[in-house]
Amino acid sequence: MTKQKSKSMIQRRLIPTYIFLGIVSFISVFPLYWMISAATNTSTDVSRGRLLPGTHFMENFKNLMSQQPLWRALGNSFLYAILTTVLCLLVCSIAGYGFEIYHDKWKDRLFSILLLAMMIPQVATMVPLFQMFSKAKLLNTAVGFMLPIISTPFMIMMFRQNARAFPVDIIEAARIDGLSEVQIFFRMFIPTMKSTYAAAAVITFMNAWNAYLWPKVIMSDNRAMTMPMLIANLITGYKTDYGMLMCGVLFCSIPTMIVFFVLQKQFAEGITGAVK
Amino acid sequence: MKKKMITALLASAMVLSLVACGGGGTDSNGGGDTSSSGSGTSSSSDSNKLTVWAWDQNFNIKAIETAAEQYKKDHPDFELEVVETSSDDCQTKLTTAANAGDYSTLPDIVLMQDNSYQKFLKSYPDAFTDLTDMGINWDDFGKLKQSYSMVDDKHYGVPFDNGAVIACYRTDILKEAGYTIDDLTDITWSEFAKIGKDVHDKTGKYLLTSEGTGGDTMMMMIQSCGANFVNENGDAYIVGNDIAEKCVDIYTELVQNDVVKLVNNWDEYVSTITNGEAAGVVNGNWITATIASTEDQKGQWAITTMPSVDGVDSATHYANNGGSSWYVTANCQNKDLAEDFLKSTFGSSTDFYDAILPQTGAIACYLPAGESDVYNEPNEFFNDQPIYSTIVEYSSHIPEFTKTPYHYEARECINTAVVNIVNGTAKADALQEAQDTLQFKMTE
Amino acid sequence: MNSKKKGMSLIAKQRAAGWTFLAPASILIAIMSFYPMVRAFIISLQKGTGANMRFTGFSNYQRILVDKVFQQSIGNTFFYLIIQVPIMLILAILLAQLLNNKHLKLRGLFRTCVFLPCATSLVSYSLIFRSMFATDGLINSILMKLGILHSGYNFLGHSGSAKAVIILALIWRWTGYNMVFYLAGLQNIEYSVYEAAKIDGANGWKTFWRITVPLLKPTIIMTFIMSINGTLQLFDESVNLTKGGPANTTITMSHYVYNTCFINVPNFGYAAAMSFLIFIMVAILAFINLKVGDTRD
Repeated sequence: MTKQKSKSMIQRRLIPTYIFLGIVSFISVFPLYWMISAATNTSTDVSRGRLLPGTHFMENFKNLMSQQPLWRALGNSFLYAILTTVLCLLVCSIAGYGFEIYHDKWKDRLFSILLLAMMIPQVATMVPLFQMFSKAKLLNTAVGFMLPIISTPFMIMMFRQNARAFPVDIIEAARIDGLSEVQIFFRMFIPTMKSTYAAAAVITFMNAWNAYLWPKVIMSDNRAMTMPMLIANLITGYKTDYGMLMCGVLFCSIPTMIVFFVLQKQFAEGITGAVK
Repeated sequence: MKKKMITALLASAMVLSLVACGGGGTDSNGGGDTSSSGSGTSSSSDSNKLTVWAWDQNFNIKAIETAAEQYKKDHPDFELEVVETSSDDCQTKLTTAANAGDYSTLPDIVLMQDNSYQKFLKSYPDAFTDLTDMGINWDDFGKLKQSYSMVDDKHYGVPFDNGAVIACYRTDILKEAGYTIDDLTDITWSEFAKIGKDVHDKTGKYLLTSEGTGGDTMMMMIQSCGANFVNENGDAYIVGNDIAEKCVDIYTELVQNDVVKLVNNWDEYVSTITNGEAAGVVNGNWITATIASTEDQKGQWAITTMPSVDGVDSATHYANNGGSSWYVTANCQNKDLAEDFLKSTFGSSTDFYDAILPQTGAIACYLPAGESDVYNEPNEFFNDQPIYSTIVEYSSHIPEFTKTPYHYEARECINTAVVNIVNGTAKADALQEAQDTLQFKMTE
Repeated sequence: MNSKKKGMSLIAKQRAAGWTFLAPASILIAIMSFYPMVRAFIISLQKGTGANMRFTGFSNYQRILVDKVFQQSIGNTFFYLIIQVPIMLILAILLAQLLNNKHLKLRGLFRTCVFLPCATSLVSYSLIFRSMFATDGLINSILMKLGILHSGYNFLGHSGSAKAVIILALIWRWTGYNMVFYLAGLQNIEYSVYEAAKIDGANGWKTFWRITVPLLKPTIIMTFIMSINGTLQLFDESVNLTKGGPANTTITMSHYVYNTCFINVPNFGYAAAMSFLIFIMVAILAFINLKVGDTRD
């Protein structure tokens, strides 16, 4: 069998897969298409259910720009989301690593307790948290925005579960080479777990980007506006301009998609380089 | 290479986080240019500046900004900062801050839906300022409008946005079915039902659209009789409430006879208008903004009074739905300025109301404004009807009714009952359940 | 610091490192979550608003026993949980497996497509779903063209179909999200394991159940716990797609709690009590999961 032949055979066998993925992709992408096409139509057309792209994108965009501080909201959202992601990844990955690599009965118990932190609806803890931040003079600050979402049981768990696949012999070898525990984490674990970091980055970025309830409650300043707040402002009028709304929503959705597209190769094909 | 990059990234993150945390401790401007003032106070301490929360750029915000411009003519140093805050967010923020006992994040002036004010006053009586003696002639506003922001004869809000209910009809569709707008003026709901059925048979269109969950039609009906689903003692009053039962009967009949199209949400509601599926709409007059945005229906709409409930002595053709008022918060450091600003614009200036009307379509609750020329100008979209003065006139006739902090609870319970009745539950059972649920929600 | 460390045994040193590593995250969680939770528990024993709170023992918890709407919301939420979570997770593993194939062309594009739904802003997604399932919406016109329906069906206006729409929406939105974890988890499985399985003659289905699923177990446990947590605290779909209607037949527990605080006359004590009930339910399910599945072999 020549190489050519076996390749085409593999592709032929994948045809059902392509069809299945094609259908799934279509269903997944259709609303996005709808969103883009709605952003190019007038409000009345959107409301009448028009699916074809129109010619009103620039008009919708101009209306949006004249009503809302789009660039500032985008800038703020990027700043908050990136800072949150970097801090969250650092704090949670080192904790997840600590919980798994050095695991013992007590750490497992502590981990179980930490998990409890995510199981209560946010509404219940919002007033106490608000009081706390008000006492600490953190209302209306970026720190106040980020602090509650930097350390999440979910991310710790993600790194803990994935650290289970991190080979123990590498650690032993590194210790014999004289690396300290901190050095092992930074030099061995982080590069090895690239795919986990990339996946965690996508998820954290998305959550921070979409954070709404808490930021809205503590931020009372136009200069701190984020994208979700901007979108909320677009739907509260007595009259909704659907074309403009979809234009704004498009700007709100695209960054997360780009982040995913850029990072997906990292977590889906990042077969660990350094050690294996 | 990549390894180094990641390490560098993490290192910089740590530095950043240290800076951020350090900054937080000593100076809360640490988060960049995102914080207004170190103490986290939102209301302005600057003696010539007021901060306002309001929503809708084309409507409320434009109105108060116009007011600020006008006020600046006599007070050149005056400054106004509007923080766009949706009505829902405003409630979330107010509730959280008030329950935490920290009013420092509140602005000087806040715009609030008339239907939600009573609940704030009940729960957080000290969050707002008594405005009774600010120098406004309160009777320049309709009696009912005043009552939304009043407790124990004290005024807490300056009424702004008019919520007088109007009925809008597509005259072209009516004509097709053999009716004119006069046939629908000052009618009762049973007459409306008859015409509606005929219109639906002949044209396939609906004479009324209503939201199944969270809709206001039932509230408008009962309030047009000067009644409510609660009584003066603050108890749920559905079972044994003759007027309530009549409203429920009318409404279920409308649904069952295809006179009203029940939709699930606001978007669908708007769609029925833009699609031309609705031959009529009964809602607060702010609905004209949505209607008028459908350019190709220009000249095909007319407004008139809403139908009245049959067989009720107190029935009228007037009700109120929505609308909002301005409130001064307890966090306002500059009460005199806030009062003076509101008084000399929203509280007394017909010039001001004339100025905002063409820009925003915001119709005043301030009755003297309705007499001006601007208000009497014919409106092209509505077949040259002078809709603004008509609406202001309507708003002077709206009967008062018993206010309750539990407005939204009542609305939810009654809508649930109607949906259940339409789906086959016996009326008595559904109403009893609504009564019980509402009473349950009204006790702690 | 260094001289002190020298005195420690190797094991002690490692143990200290472990605790140091997990300290920052744990302390943050303690301050940002546990402290407010303790305060919330105190609130759940009180009635009133703002500064006028007074202790009333467990009466807020007793109130749950007679609150029919909240009980209905518990039923609704568990219905979503039982139907949606298994379908979504199996679909997610399947997609991850398919998209992990090295021979597949355009896999980056496919992956992004599958992930797109959860990156789509909530506002537009709910608007689109509402409009698609409207009585004169896209789904109805397709069904009518296919001759399955004669006239438009009001999907969101009937309790059964409204629930189905919510479940569909959830699957649509979160399958790609869960796939991300599985894809990342799959990278830890050596490709040679599959090659070996192929040589042994195992077909795709067999390798999936015998190799992929067992090796992904830690990730599966995690996504299961996250999905249980997410579904029992479900809020967005109930609020944005159906507003809990018709007649409260689709309302979720968190939606009801939210209404109790911010739509209705605020009752934070009762809201906190209901929140703790949700907390207990999630905790029990999560720990059953951990006990059953989270073992180190």
